[in-house]
Amino acid sequence: MAVLSLNNICFSYKDTPVLNDVSYDFERGKMYCIIGKSGAGKTTLLSILSGLAKPKSGSIMYDGRNIKKIDKYKFRSKYIGVIFQSFNLITKFTALENVILSMNIAGYRQQKKRDKALELLKSVGLDENEANRRVLKLSGGQQQRVAIARALSYDAEIILADEPTGNLDSETQNEIMAIFRALADSGKCVILVSHSPEVAAMCDEKYELIKYSKKTKK
Amino acid sequence: MYIIKNAFKCIGRSRGRNILIGVIVFVIAVSACIGLSIRQAAESAKSDTLEGLTVTATISFDRQKAMNDIIQNAENDNSSENSGRPSFDRDKFSDFMGESSSLTLDEYKKYAEAKSVKDFYYSISTSFNGNDDFLPVSNDSSSDDEDTSSETESNRGPGGFFQPPEDIRNQMMGAQSDFTVVGYSSEEAMTSFIDGTATIVDGSVFTEGTSDAECIISQELANYNSIAVDDTITLENPNNEDESYEFTVVGIYTDSSSNESSFSIMGATSTDPANSIYTSYAALHTILDASGENSETVTDDTTGREFSTEIKSTLSATYVLSDVDSYNKFTEEVRELGLDESYNVTSSDISSYESSLVPLETLSKLAGYFLIVVLLIGAVILIVLNIFNIRERKYEIGVLTAMGMKKFKVALQFLTEIFVVTIVAVIVGVGVGGVSSVPVTNALLENQVAAESNQFNKIEENFGRPGNMIPNGNMVPNDMPQAQNGRPGNFFDENEVTDYINEIDEAMNLTVVFQMLGIAVLLTIVSGAVSMLFIMRYDPLRILANRD
Repeated sequence: MAVLSLNNICFSYKDTPVLNDVSYDFERGKMYCIIGKSGAGKTTLLSILSGLAKPKSGSIMYDGRNIKKIDKYKFRSKYIGVIFQSFNLITKFTALENVILSMNIAGYRQQKKRDKALELLKSVGLDENEANRRVLKLSGGQQQRVAIARALSYDAEIILADEPTGNLDSETQNEIMAIFRALADSGKCVILVSHSPEVAAMCDEKYELIKYSKKTKK
Repeated sequence: MYIIKNAFKCIGRSRGRNILIGVIVFVIAVSACIGLSIRQAAESAKSDTLEGLTVTATISFDRQKAMNDIIQNAENDNSSENSGRPSFDRDKFSDFMGESSSLTLDEYKKYAEAKSVKDFYYSISTSFNGNDDFLPVSNDSSSDDEDTSSETESNRGPGGFFQPPEDIRNQMMGAQSDFTVVGYSSEEAMTSFIDGTATIVDGSVFTEGTSDAECIISQELANYNSIAVDDTITLENPNNEDESYEFTVVGIYTDSSSNESSFSIMGATSTDPANSIYTSYAALHTILDASGENSETVTDDTTGREFSTEIKSTLSATYVLSDVDSYNKFTEEVRELGLDESYNVTSSDISSYESSLVPLETLSKLAGYFLIVVLLIGAVILIVLNIFNIRERKYEIGVLTAMGMKKFKVALQFLTEIFVVTIVAVIVGVGVGGVSSVPVTNALLENQVAAESNQFNKIEENFGRPGNMIPNGNMVPNDMPQAQNGRPGNFFDENEVTDYINEIDEAMNLTVVFQMLGIAVLLTIVSGAVSMLFIMRYDPLRILANRD
């Protein structure tokens, strides 16, 4: 059963249509890649999937429930983990604090949040020393890892990532992709948005968006 | 809970901005604290003074009202006859004053039956002349070997004040006399001995209520005439030098007010406190009765006016009331007991109490305006700073809401940050304000008192002479009844002087602390409300899209 379904989604910025009649099902345990040229509406679709933007028409079903009926803050903080293109971390906080903050927002009641956060950061390749550094003092790759750890911190079933390898060198890119692969293999639904054919090649499914919402499924 | 933790983290990691906000709030807090302390000090001074205040009241004739009534009646009579201004009917006024101005002892006693009256006493005062063996203390050298009452040639009085010619003086003040003799109904009436202004140095005070002609005289007067206790003095009727009365001196007293204001007015030595002679009401009343029986009507050779040789006297009564509320009740009760509207009930205690608070109340009023201005300016500055703060942290707000943090929780975190910074700054401000409020208030109060005094000095300068002023520059309030303590003519009795409150010991108290906390909450709400409006308005997608 699909964990996330798009049903006839339409979206436009003022009078300019961006997405038109988009329908697609995303399942657990798979890694998806939404590809398309610049302006095709990839990031817009990711915003709709993450509940940050509302479609003009159509519906999004999460585990069989229309997300309109789910509190949007709860949906963002519990059910879906988003890794933004520019990471969107709280710059005055350390890597560890960013991860703990997202656990707090999700209402995570586990006692040893710090231990779990450190474990998560370690799993994405950051040691304790790096975990206690302010994110501004980390490299782009390290910030990307913090963003991934943050998205994983509250055990969301769906992980959304916008251009997760955009500014990374090929070695780091491979490491990050390995993390996503491991997540998909662990049963999560990983949805990547990328214009990179290499990234698309590593995914199980590809969904190509064509400008003005003309879509083809490969 | 995590919201509070986040707030503290954010405060610690944006030190520059928070220190700036803290300094501004600190300045506002210190200013507000001093302003509130001044207001509190004024309130405390009021209530403290009121608590310890035993109010005495007197009933006096409202001469101004009587004159206005006569003028009004004259205008009504003349309105239909001619358009000219009616002349004041002096004869009618004299008759009216003669009939109505003085209350009798029985009438005074009737009003003393009012429930609010705690104690009641009265005194009678009159003037006597001395003789060659018993002369009044006088600064005028010409009076040393001559009778001061009628033979002063100089137009310069004591202290260099101008004096009109003798015949005009006599018309103005009646016959000039040497001594003031006051007869007291009881020891309570002798307020100067109770408050310590006067003290017996030899002998003792006459027996209360005695009708024997016993008296006490001032030490200055005793020394001046070489009189000791048990000596006898002879006093003459100022209107009839053949009529004299003997008194036995039973005590000699000193009066501190005599040292400070021992000068006479217009050549009348009787106004000098040193020339005051005190006896019992019963004794003086016996003499006045005898004088009335022996009186005759004579014509003044110079003015041609007829007058009685009877010794003139003034009766005054004082009602003691427990507090200001009792005073207010008393003013109503006397009307119920039949006191005519032509009479006023006044209290010099309340007048002097109100006068003493003038500088502090003026300062309190100014402090109130200052407080409002400081709070308004402070609130505007904080609002502007918070708008900058929110705009600067727009991205953070976008991230937090995109992560699923509810907007009101974001707002709550920001509000907590503002509140913590504000409350810390206010606490430090209250500490500094509390320490500095007393010296600052006293310094401001000193300036205010000086300003009040300067105002009177300026009036004196403008007049080119001392007006209705007392030596230290303060003014005797217009509504302060003279002779309220039974010592007529002693205009500048120090007990009647406006004694300004020019120092406070304590300005801060719990009320001020709570008020400051209220201000902290108010400033937080005002500046935080703007932050909340901005936060509620922000769309996370737009913020993050713009950032990207």
